[in-house]
Parts: sequence; structure tokens; C-alpha cells
Amino acid sequence: MTSQNQNIEAILQSVRENQTYLNIWSAYKKIQGLELPVSKEKDSLNLAVIGSTTLEPLAACIDIKTRLDGFHVHTFVGGFNTWRQEALDLKSPLYKTETDVIVLSVDALSVLDQMFLANFVRTSEKERSTLEKELVNSVASVIEILEKNTTAIILVNNFIVPVFSPLGIVDNKQKIGLKQFFDNANIDLTERFTKSNRVFIVALDAVSSDFGKSRITNWNTWYRGSVPFSEEFTPILADEYLRYIRALKGRSKKCIVLDLDNTLWGGIIGEDGIEGIKLSNTSPGIEYVDFQRGLLSLYNRGVILAVCSKNNYDDAAKVFQEHPYQVLKEEHFAAMMINWQNKVANIAELAKEINIGIDSMVFFDDNPVERAQVSQAYPEIMVVDLPKNPRLYRKTLENLNVFDVLSLTKEDMERGEMYTGKRKREALERSAESIEDFLRTLDLQVKVQPVNDFDAPRVVQLIGKTNQFNLTTRRYTDAEVRQFREDKDAIVYSMAVSDKFGDEGVVGVAIAKIKEKEWWIDSFLMSCRVIGRSAETALLARIVKDARAAKAKRIFGEYIPTKKNPPAADLFERHGFDMTKEDGDNGTTWVLDLETSTVEVPDWIELQEE
Amino acid sequence: MTDFEDKLLEILSKVLLLEKNAISDDLRRKDFEAWDSMAHLIIVSEIENEFEIFFEDEEVIDLWTVGDIKKVLSTKLSP
Repeated sequence: MTSQNQNIEAILQSVRENQTYLNIWSAYKKIQGLELPVSKEKDSLNLAVIGSTTLEPLAACIDIKTRLDGFHVHTFVGGFNTWRQEALDLKSPLYKTETDVIVLSVDALSVLDQMFLANFVRTSEKERSTLEKELVNSVASVIEILEKNTTAIILVNNFIVPVFSPLGIVDNKQKIGLKQFFDNANIDLTERFTKSNRVFIVALDAVSSDFGKSRITNWNTWYRGSVPFSEEFTPILADEYLRYIRALKGRSKKCIVLDLDNTLWGGIIGEDGIEGIKLSNTSPGIEYVDFQRGLLSLYNRGVILAVCSKNNYDDAAKVFQEHPYQVLKEEHFAAMMINWQNKVANIAELAKEINIGIDSMVFFDDNPVERAQVSQAYPEIMVVDLPKNPRLYRKTLENLNVFDVLSLTKEDMERGEMYTGKRKREALERSAESIEDFLRTLDLQVKVQPVNDFDAPRVVQLIGKTNQFNLTTRRYTDAEVRQFREDKDAIVYSMAVSDKFGDEGVVGVAIAKIKEKEWWIDSFLMSCRVIGRSAETALLARIVKDARAAKAKRIFGEYIPTKKNPPAADLFERHGFDMTKEDGDNGTTWVLDLETSTVEVPDWIELQEE
Repeated sequence: MTDFEDKLLEILSKVLLLEKNAISDDLRRKDFEAWDSMAHLIIVSEIENEFEIFFEDEEVIDLWTVGDIKKVLSTKLSP
């Protein structure tokens, strides 16, 4: 660690101990004072915060909270109400560095006339409708400029719907009352960018309501310095932005590991029996049913569920199979460790079986001792501080906000079924004589093609979140992937895999860069779900075939080691590449001479090409 | 040192990025670069929140030194 990094770590320590606004601000100013250079490492993040008010405090909170997640942040804060100029002037600091995330925070009243509220009652329905369109247009036009001139993701807060209306309780008896005015503006703004992969409308109104709209502003600092959000609210609002940053940077959680007794149901199945546990459509027991429904809602959009419980397997299985109010069934779990081993060992087993990192897991257990042990063994796992009262379980789950993805794909929606397929596959694997025999019985079909528009969001998602089978871990944004696709000297491949147990959808990506007679595999990655079926060989074989057809002489590949990608370490070696360069932590470079070597598709894979 | 002085120094130290013992009563806003208008705004609001008091705009402008802050604060906090 460099001394500069140690300095930053020491500064962040005070925030870790006590995340107050004052500590965050102090840390932010100290780190700003270090005048760190802009970095383009993969754990760096260039942030810009622009808008109509004094946004340095919000920027400070986003900056420091992102640093607490382990990123090096470079933050640009726009001037007071200069967001239009900053966006329009291509020489503005906003465009000097390659910005990853732009936060645009515009107060509606700064766009509308200052007398808007005072005169609202006297305006006609037609005028209100026109004003609302103008408000949305003035923000949307700036968003479009930012979208055009950067590759960043653009986070735009929606408008806060006021609680007070001069029309009082009959505000909604008018066609466009004051609240309806802002509701309409929010709907219009959201609809303008529903299709954009890079513009996200942040639900400031909902976050404000949850916190309490009467407390989101400190009126002293608002009138003194146009600071829009209070000291208590600013860090909470920053957390909302962090959800997007984590999703962008592949830090979202993927899997919930659940205890059973007093977590999924009340009581202890081994002692109370199937009739005795609390699990019902009335109280007591309804709170557990409701918690399970919450878990199911996340399962249905791609969050993986797993069980880690100290129990006799048959006792627990009986609840899953026979209890009339049990919501989650065995088929919803990608893996179950129900035994008397300690949970630390079981969690390692689960990670191995599901094939995800322990840092992608969230652990739910009512027992604080188990929680402490797991947390101590794996500092990287998220251990939920579960309240004693089970009626708060569902709310606790909903408040986590750690499972976000920037786009929901078909693969997300069907992930649960894919794991059911995986378990059947593994049962078959155990009964097969050899690995080749097993693979032959799977009827594997691999489809490799230059990525089309339909699969592009999934490809970007995989690039953003794949950690284990990822040779170079280069994270490209939606815009960068589009550039590769348009570049005639680059090919972005997508790979879809299916077998007789199910369709995994798009699970692999490779980016090849063509430098005359030499091809470089810039990126090569595959979802951990399909590791062990030699799909990677098929993808590599396709690249080799294309390179040969283009009369290339050699194909180069790189392996850049990270903490998590050892599963990919031997890819090139296994396929006959020779090492040409070894550069310590920066990895190794490999080459395949096309005049003497090739890569064949395994005979158990049917490769479909387009 | 009184309790309120310590709390005040805590705030000043965190906003002005100085060790507590380096903050003297004659530390002056105009002469100290880190004490810019944003820092001043945050110092005032943190003091307001910490001590549950309120400053008029004229009072905020007249806080030129650490000594000024202490003086106003002790007046506001005396029963």
C-alpha cells in the first residue's frame, strides 16, 4: 500500500467509526486537500455532481461513501445553478476527465418562475400544462446533452411533490392541482428516459417521503447558503446514489443465505415439530410468511436463495414439502446446507456449490452468535443485523437495497429455474462414469455470435459483474461496448448456452481487437453458472476460427489476476497458448500461433454460429 | 476547558482540519484559507444543531474569530 493510500485509510477510519455528516465532511475536505491525481484504475470512479443548488455536501457524502466501498473517487462539484452552462460548454471541467457518474440535481423552483407557487392558484389548466412541459423539457434537454457528450451514467433526481398546496384539501379536485403538477412532471421525465441505458431517474420524492419531507431541508442553511438537504438527510440521499454506483461497479449482492429456525419460521422444527412451528396466515406466524413472500419477490427477479441451518435434513425438508403455509419450496433454493456442521464451513460449501464469491452473499440468521462467527470468518460477507422482533424481518430485507442491477434481463428473471437445472445436472454428474460421459449426456448447445442489440444490455451486465471466470476484469460501460461494436477492428461476441435441463441464456462475452495480422483477446468472461461444461472452449474456438478466416497469424490473450479470478487462470494454457510475458501482479500474456495450432470445439458441444 | 468549549473545538477542528490544540481564540476567518464561506456555513449549522440555538444572519457575519464564536455562544447558552 502506498503512503497516500494509508493516509486515505486513516482519514476514512473516523468515518467508519461514526458516520456523521460532520465526520464525512471533514474526511472529504482532508482527502480533497491531498490533491490526488485522476486515476483510471479499475477501482477508480470519476464523479460529477451538478445542479441548481449548493451541492458540495451531497457530493461529499457520495464521495466518501463510495470510498468506504473501496474505490478511489475523483469528484467534480459544479457551481451554484450553473448546470446548464457546465453541460453546454464542452470545455467545462465536466468533460475534462472521463466521467463515470454524473449526478444532476435540479430544484423545480429554480427552473419555474420564482412566483410560480404564489400564483399557481390563478393559473389556468392550460398554463399549468405548458409550464409542466417546459420544466421537464429544460431538464431533459440538458440530460440529452450530457448523454451525447459523455459515456457516464447520468443520475437525475425527480422532483419533490410538495406536501403543502394553497388549494388545501381540494388540491386534487382540480384537473392539475399542485401535487398533480409535480406528479405529471415526474411521470413525463421518467418516460422520456425509460429506454435509455445510461439515464436513471432517481426517486428523490420517494426517498424524501420515506425520510419525512418536513425534515429533508434545514431552513437555516437553505436560506443562508442554498443547501437543499439537511445534515440528517444528505447522507441518506447519498445512499440512494450509491445503489447505482455499486450496480455499475459490480458490487451488488447476488445471494441470500438463510437460517431456518426462528428465521424462516418461528420456533425450532426439531423440537416443536411441523404442527408446532409458527408459520400461518394469521398471527402468530404471518410475519414469517410475509418475510418469505419478500424473499420470493427477490428470487423472482434473480436473487439467489440458499439455506444454511443446523438441523436434521429430514425435519427441515418436511416443512418445505408439507407445511401448508410454507411459501418457499426446495426448488427455490440454489443450494441447501442443512446439517450439524458449523456455519462458517457450510457457507464456504455453499459458495463453492453455487459458484459465487462469499462477498456476493447476504447472511440472515436470528442467532447473534452465529452471525458473529460468520462475520469474523468472512469480513467480506454482508451479515444482516436481524432485529429480535420477527415482525421487522420483511422491512429489514426491503431496507437492504444491495441487490440492484442497472438493467433487468431475461436471465435475471429466470435465474431461479436455472439453478434448479443446475441441481439436476449435478445429480447426473454424480452418477456419470466420467466427466466426458456426463457432458455428452447434457446435449450442450452453445451459440456464439457478434452481439446483437437485443443481447447488448446483458453483455454489458456480464462485463460489469462477472468476477471469477474473467480473464482481464475490464469493466466497460454501455457506451464503451457500443463503441467496440461499431469499431471495424473489434468484435464483441456473446455466448448463449443451453442443455437438456434448461436455457441459461447469454452467459459469456469476449472482445477481440484486431491489429492487422494479430488478434488480441481484450476481454474473455463467462458466468460462473456454466463453469465446468467447456463452453469457454467453444467460445475460444469461434474466435480462433474467425481469426483464421481473417488471415490472422497469431492470437494474443492476457490474464490479469485478481483476488477472485483464479478459476480463469489456466484458460490459455489449457488451450495450447504459450506464455510470452510474465509481469508480476499485472499478469501474463499468451499467444497461439495459428500456423501451427488451433482450438477445436469439444465433440459434446453443438456450436451454433451466426 | 468547559464542556461546551470542547464540543465547539471538536466542530472547528473537523471543519478547519486543525488539531484542537492548534485552534486559538484569535484564529481569524480572513487569515485562514480553509475557513471559507462553505466552511463557515457548516461551522454555524453544526453549532446550531449541537447546541440547539439559532444565529441571526448579522451574527453569522460578525463571527470573525474563534473568540467571537465563543463569546456569542456563551451569551446564548447562559440562562
